[in-house]
Amino acid sequence: MEYRGLPRVIAGPAVLAISLLAAASLHAKPVTIVVDTEPDQLDPCQIDKSQVGPVIKSNVIETLTEIDPFDGTVLPRLATEWVRLDATTWQFDLRGGVTFHDGSPLTAEAVAVSMRRTLVPELSCESALKYFAAIKLTAEPVDDDTVRFTTDIPVEILPTMMASVGISSLATPLNEITRAPIGTGPYVLSEWVPGQRVVLSAYPGYWGGPAEVTGATYVWRQDSAVRAAMVAAGEADIAPRIAVQDATDGSMDFAYSNAVTTSFRIDGAIAPLDDVRVRRAANLAIDRDALRGTLFSAEAIPAAQQVPPGATGYNPELTPYAFDPGEARRLLAAARADGAPVDTEIVLIGRYNIYSNAEEVVQAVQAMLADVGFKTSIKMTDSAEWFKLALKPFAEGRAPNIFQTGHDNTMGDAVFTVPAKYASTERQATMTVPELDRLIAEASVASGEERRAKFAEALRMIHEDIVPDIILFHMVEFARVNPRITYVPNVSTGTALQLRQISFK
Amino acid sequence: MLKFLLRRTLQSAVALLALVTVVFFLARLTGDPVDLFLPLEATEEARARVAAQYGFDQPIPVQYVRYLGGVLSLDFGPSIFQGRPAIDPVLEAFPVTLMLALVTMSIAAALAILVGAVAAYRPDGVFDRIASVVTLIGASTPDFWLAIVAILFFSVSLGLLPTSGTGGIAFWVLPVGVLLTRPLGVLTQVVRSSFLNALSAPYVRTARAKGASTRRVIFVHALRNALLPVITVAGDLLAGFLNGAVVVETIFGWPGIGHLMISSIRQRDFAVVQAAILVTAVAVFVMNILIDFAYARLDPRVSVRQAKQ
Repeated sequence: MEYRGLPRVIAGPAVLAISLLAAASLHAKPVTIVVDTEPDQLDPCQIDKSQVGPVIKSNVIETLTEIDPFDGTVLPRLATEWVRLDATTWQFDLRGGVTFHDGSPLTAEAVAVSMRRTLVPELSCESALKYFAAIKLTAEPVDDDTVRFTTDIPVEILPTMMASVGISSLATPLNEITRAPIGTGPYVLSEWVPGQRVVLSAYPGYWGGPAEVTGATYVWRQDSAVRAAMVAAGEADIAPRIAVQDATDGSMDFAYSNAVTTSFRIDGAIAPLDDVRVRRAANLAIDRDALRGTLFSAEAIPAAQQVPPGATGYNPELTPYAFDPGEARRLLAAARADGAPVDTEIVLIGRYNIYSNAEEVVQAVQAMLADVGFKTSIKMTDSAEWFKLALKPFAEGRAPNIFQTGHDNTMGDAVFTVPAKYASTERQATMTVPELDRLIAEASVASGEERRAKFAEALRMIHEDIVPDIILFHMVEFARVNPRITYVPNVSTGTALQLRQISFK
Repeated sequence: MLKFLLRRTLQSAVALLALVTVVFFLARLTGDPVDLFLPLEATEEARARVAAQYGFDQPIPVQYVRYLGGVLSLDFGPSIFQGRPAIDPVLEAFPVTLMLALVTMSIAAALAILVGAVAAYRPDGVFDRIASVVTLIGASTPDFWLAIVAILFFSVSLGLLPTSGTGGIAFWVLPVGVLLTRPLGVLTQVVRSSFLNALSAPYVRTARAKGASTRRVIFVHALRNALLPVITVAGDLLAGFLNGAVVVETIFGWPGIGHLMISSIRQRDFAVVQAAILVTAVAVFVMNILIDFAYARLDPRVSVRQAKQ
């Protein structure tokens, strides 16, 4: 819908209707997408940032591989095939006939330089920090269409990790952040008016041929109600991440998994939480059904593990702890009888706005824990304090605590969750369990069915034997979609909203 | 006049120095920006490297001296999140806020003078009572609520106006309408009170005795004197707007300075916060000078020097 001034708008419903019909027929192909935050950068190496990816990932900047949003498998994108030559070497064949938006061809040299650029420390690229920090990797062209990656340690899931590395033209500055990405994607960045909009237009030389959507304008509104209103008023076509209270129209609002799992980490190093019976009692005290449909969306899925369904290593056999306050009280009594200081006050550490209704969730969990006999207090933190408490080194002499957190795994493999959360050498784990450490280490370098089985076993051990956290829900979000288009929101919508997946009715 | 300007500039320079100092230290009390810039999975080495890259590893006094040196050359350093000079987004956002503030205050002042003057001419009359109720409601209505309700009604239900964004005149209607409700209410009350005083002054009785028309009595004889307190209050309100109409800018997607400041504070993008506050402080200083001149212009008894003494 286009507005060119109040006098025209109030000229009469007939004029408005004619204008709308004309607009619909003449400008049916471009779409408008309203997101919650303006991108701070549009650098190809930041495509994994939540405010950058939805705009440029897979639209402007492509990757060698991509993750299937529905089953987590690795799909070809700029690479057509890949093969593991030995434990530390992978070779990727590049797609032919691909050109960057500046007209230069996609070559192995461009891929190698893009990889090296991603790892330049001064750029602080998201994927380098999240996925490649512990790996020494070199990228070398074999010939124009083949690139080889060598790592210092075996990396079983390099093809998966390549879905996070944006490939950009050799014209991209190597050591500087750029606001003008040059990729191979189906759309070219044609305009960025800071504070107002980003405009993409179709790249006529795209290797995959033309798409129905010929261009997209991205605008940003922080308030969820306004984003929802923009779609309802016909000003926008897609509004991802609208709040549950604004998802009021079943014909336009669609729930989708966002690969986020919410949980509370239990500090198992401090009494009485160092007693597994106490940790188990805390889990049995939680009534997930009471939380769902009230503080959490009714579509949220009760969870037993931090790895989302569909990811490699997800253990489908695990079920969430049932709400059983009687058994929780019995476990606490048993622990108390054996000398565990069960009456010690436990601090529930929450974080404002970590997700919707976060503070209320902490209060509800406190009430549920109190109901079975826990003594707790609440300490809400802002992000600064929360970050300090989230990571080692943990404070000496700290009070026993249960820590509100959330985790997203959009890459489809348990390795992006389990080591960081539970390996004792990592900075988020509160407990040291050598057997689990060994299993995680083995799973991380295993492949195929063995990898899946080892991670599944590690998750079983975590859930049933160690109980280091209270897992709540695999979360869902809502997107409002204009009825004039067809688009199925999926787990990648928040990280790579692919315009080519949109069609017009 | 030059001496006056020079003196005010020196006074303001001292105030600005105090302001940038307070902002510098307060910003650092909010925590480490590296925590928010890097993902949770980032290593200690990566954190240390980013801290060194942006100078956050230096002792606070060293950072402060560097910052002051930069301010003198209008170099506020790079925005850690945007990867460009911090002054750039500030200079993009400030004109947006300035325009919104000037348009809103102009309309609010014009309407307030009209309504307040007519209400004061017959105090406790029907018009006066209605105007009082309406303006009091306007002055006390939360703008975030009004903004959402206005969008749902005028944009979604009626389809008359765009929900948000910037563009032609239609895009101004809702933001300005929401933004002016509070100043309109406050200013109308001030104008009414000020006019009541003016209308009971001897020179107005003289004008009436000479047979001057009602319109002439109000808008020629009383208006000029009644405007002095209005300018004071309007100046305060305008200064508030120049610091950013945060709620309206956020809800209606106006890329103004208030919205920028809030998002930069949340991200702990110190350089942008510092640049934005300094730019708005200078703007408020300039506006105060202009108000001083307006005072002197409206009231010949007040010279520029007296106005500020």
